[in-house]
Amino acid sequence: MPKANDYAILFDASHCTGCRACQVACKQWNDLPGEATVNTGSYENPPSLSADTWLRMKYTEGVVSDEVFWDFTRDACMHCSSAACVEACPTGAVNYREGGVVTVDQDWCIGCRNCVQACPYDAIHYDEHKGVVEKCTLCYDRVSNGLQPACVTSCPTGALHSGSYADMKQLAETRLAQLKEAGYKDANIYGLAEMGGTHVLYVLLKHPSTYGLPVGTVTEKKKVASGWLSAGIAAAVLGYAGVHWVAERREQVGGERR
Amino acid sequence: MTGEWGIYIVLYFWLAAMGGGAFLIALGLRDDRAKRSGAFLAFIGIVIGALLLVVDLGQPARFWHLLAGFHPISVMWLGSAVLALSGLGLFLMLILREWPDWLVWVTAILVLLVVGYTGVLLMATARPFWSASPLMPWIFLASAYTSGAALLVLLGNREPGLHRIAFNFALIEIVLVAAHLIWTYPAAQQQVQAALTGELAWAFWGFVLLGVALPLYMEAQRKAAALSALLVLAGGFLLRYFIVYAGQVGVLRF
Repeated sequence: MPKANDYAILFDASHCTGCRACQVACKQWNDLPGEATVNTGSYENPPSLSADTWLRMKYTEGVVSDEVFWDFTRDACMHCSSAACVEACPTGAVNYREGGVVTVDQDWCIGCRNCVQACPYDAIHYDEHKGVVEKCTLCYDRVSNGLQPACVTSCPTGALHSGSYADMKQLAETRLAQLKEAGYKDANIYGLAEMGGTHVLYVLLKHPSTYGLPVGTVTEKKKVASGWLSAGIAAAVLGYAGVHWVAERREQVGGERR
Repeated sequence: MTGEWGIYIVLYFWLAAMGGGAFLIALGLRDDRAKRSGAFLAFIGIVIGALLLVVDLGQPARFWHLLAGFHPISVMWLGSAVLALSGLGLFLMLILREWPDWLVWVTAILVLLVVGYTGVLLMATARPFWSASPLMPWIFLASAYTSGAALLVLLGNREPGLHRIAFNFALIEIVLVAAHLIWTYPAAQQQVQAALTGELAWAFWGFVLLGVALPLYMEAQRKAAALSALLVLAGGFLLRYFIVYAGQVGVLRF
């Protein structure tokens, strides 16, 4: 679980207008180039995170019983306490820093992309020019100097907040209570239990899956443990069968020769 | 390079499984020459495979970072460690005239880990086609035994048990693949469809028809053992090809 004094971000979907100021601020502060994309019929752009896009707004749109809905969520690294990228990294280049921030040591990364495959949020990406992976740093260079993350400073509606984990959690719970009282019975906080507790918390108006967020996430440790368990049983069962068949066949052939 | 796991990874999975499978099976045979050629095949597969893995890295010159730390939870780290150690064990076996028992046992376990960890590696990802069923290690192990036996047959080993192994494991393999597709379908509809009817159908059906069904038929008819073994090896490649690529279908690259 995140510690009370860890760095944290709170995203409040009930205040977000999808203006993408945060997306632009992230690009500016981190000096990330724009990307050439193709119109896919949605205002959402770019279509996914990449090595050059560490934060974007995700638009979920559609029609339910003649009612149009258009919902916005933040799509970026969640800075998990039990981070799949950290646990999948074979060199320790992707690691937890002070305050629970997850970053990549680009001088140590070998570019194996195991973290890219492991992340349940698709928030870490391979930079083919640099040969290493890139992701949101929670603006570690800013927060460790007492500033707010670039995305948070740019938000015009108060949908983004940053501070200590304890404060952000408190703020999320207060807002949740307000929303429930205002009649949003499906409102919830996302990130309290996911991947050991994430350092980015979301206040959502609807079930997380309606925003395309993964629910019931399994930590990398558990996946690896069940993988080895399955492999162990497979090795025993298939190995036994192989030895048995060779011996049986040998006896048959021996019998025929006699 | 777009960052997906591509052809180098497929080739590595295939070579390591073929060589490793041949070695593990040869150890179960009585013929000492077969054991030695099994060790040679595994050594070649593992050395070439390891080179492919290094070339696939974004920073190949930093490959030694893998061995400079201790990260046992990372399947990638553990795989690199057993790959390096098994190469060492096999090298010792190749240069020693007499094999101490411990060396044979230790190397066999290391090679088994090399063949098996690849399945665990894929299972421990966020890609539903690889991780929604626990069968990835089963498929890779069964396929390693099928390919290993076929490789020994192709190189002229006459042990009758080999045909039995290749035949039975090919049957097990196809059942496991079918079970995996059904099991993962609810979570990985798009990926399963890509394998069955989409962009990877050629590899999937190539594996099923040329890599399993035809060799099984030829084996049952006791015809053209060498050709049938060759088809099994090609099937082992196609199997890994469609698994590695289908797992990454739907991952946006733009």
